[in-house]
Amino acid sequence: MKKISYQYVLIFGSFAVLFFCLSQINWVGMFKVEQITKKTEKSIGNKCWDLFKKEQKVSDNPDAIRAVDSIINRICIDNNIDSKNIQLHLLINNEVNAFALPDNHLVIYTGLIESTENESQLAGVIGHEIAHMQNNHVIKKLVKEIGMAALITITNTSGGGEMVKEMAKTLSSSAYDRKLEKEADIQAVNYLIKANIDPIPFANFLSGLDTTNTDYSMSWLNTHPDSKERGRYIKAIAKGKNIHPVTILSKSSWEQLKANINN
Amino acid sequence: MKEKAVFAYTPTDFETEKASNSYLMSLLALIAGLPLPIINLIATIIFYLLHKKSTYFVKWHCTQALLSQLSVFIINTIGFWWTISIVFGTPTITNAYFAYIICMFLFNLIELAGTIYTAIETRKGNHIEWWFYGPLTNMICKS
Repeated sequence: MKKISYQYVLIFGSFAVLFFCLSQINWVGMFKVEQITKKTEKSIGNKCWDLFKKEQKVSDNPDAIRAVDSIINRICIDNNIDSKNIQLHLLINNEVNAFALPDNHLVIYTGLIESTENESQLAGVIGHEIAHMQNNHVIKKLVKEIGMAALITITNTSGGGEMVKEMAKTLSSSAYDRKLEKEADIQAVNYLIKANIDPIPFANFLSGLDTTNTDYSMSWLNTHPDSKERGRYIKAIAKGKNIHPVTILSKSSWEQLKANINN
Repeated sequence: MKEKAVFAYTPTDFETEKASNSYLMSLLALIAGLPLPIINLIATIIFYLLHKKSTYFVKWHCTQALLSQLSVFIINTIGFWWTISIVFGTPTITNAYFAYIICMFLFNLIELAGTIYTAIETRKGNHIEWWFYGPLTNMICKS
């Protein structure tokens, strides 16, 4: 019995020691795994964005872009996020929708900006999408819905056709799973609080209290189920927090943004 | 790792062939079963069950082959599901993952070399006892 124990420890102990020693080596760096992953994500993100650019009208209004960018910058600076990585795109579309594409493409439909009543609501939506980007939810969702093998195929082929369309549809018109959505909501609230933006208007936007206008196609709300519940827990998180809201855009700048979008 | 030992009796040609085949079972399944670790184990289990009531020499080597396959199965299964979780779940490849795959590969290589060697020696009528698996088999298999 002693002999068996001794030999068992020797064999499997050697395995464990070898495993421990080998795991100290930087294989990830050696095989450039991060670079390959980033390269794949960049390729997928660009292909998706190219498709949207081709099928929809892009807003090139510099004042509108600058205004939305200033909201993004405020959230990023106060939360130590590199805003240079985030690529903002405004699409002229009546749908109330915003979504993230791989490689930090942030797409906001003008319909969503029109439906928001103040910068805090818009900041909440932007914060939510930034949270998805920062937590790698976008790629996780694609791997789950489409599969890693398909993603690699898209990266390695020029075009990608139907698969890219499917990817674009998945990202723009379906929500992430409940766990990821809640994670993004909570993180968005934390971003807003750190950026001195009141999260309550965002909660109200989710609950649909401020947006009763049925002219808009409410894709962003319809694809994110249980909006009222989300509004409730966001208010619960924000409760008791010491927030001193500081405006990002002046009243006239906000009105100018809405006017630019309407035009 | 492997030592030539003296067996209780001199096995017949028929027995040495059967005993050698128990090791070959895992090799044949290896080629057909990659990358599913379960197929190797199932093949070895089936062979063991078929020869459970055979002579002591055959039974002994079927048991040793099965026990070694069990360890390989456990190690390979961990590697297999870890890979699946990366491909279909959260795509995070870490240094630990690379280290495990290398260790798993080396373990399989050593086991493969040992299995081939033991299959050849057993066919010649030599009794080979592996470290740990040999004494464990002695405990399980009584003549």
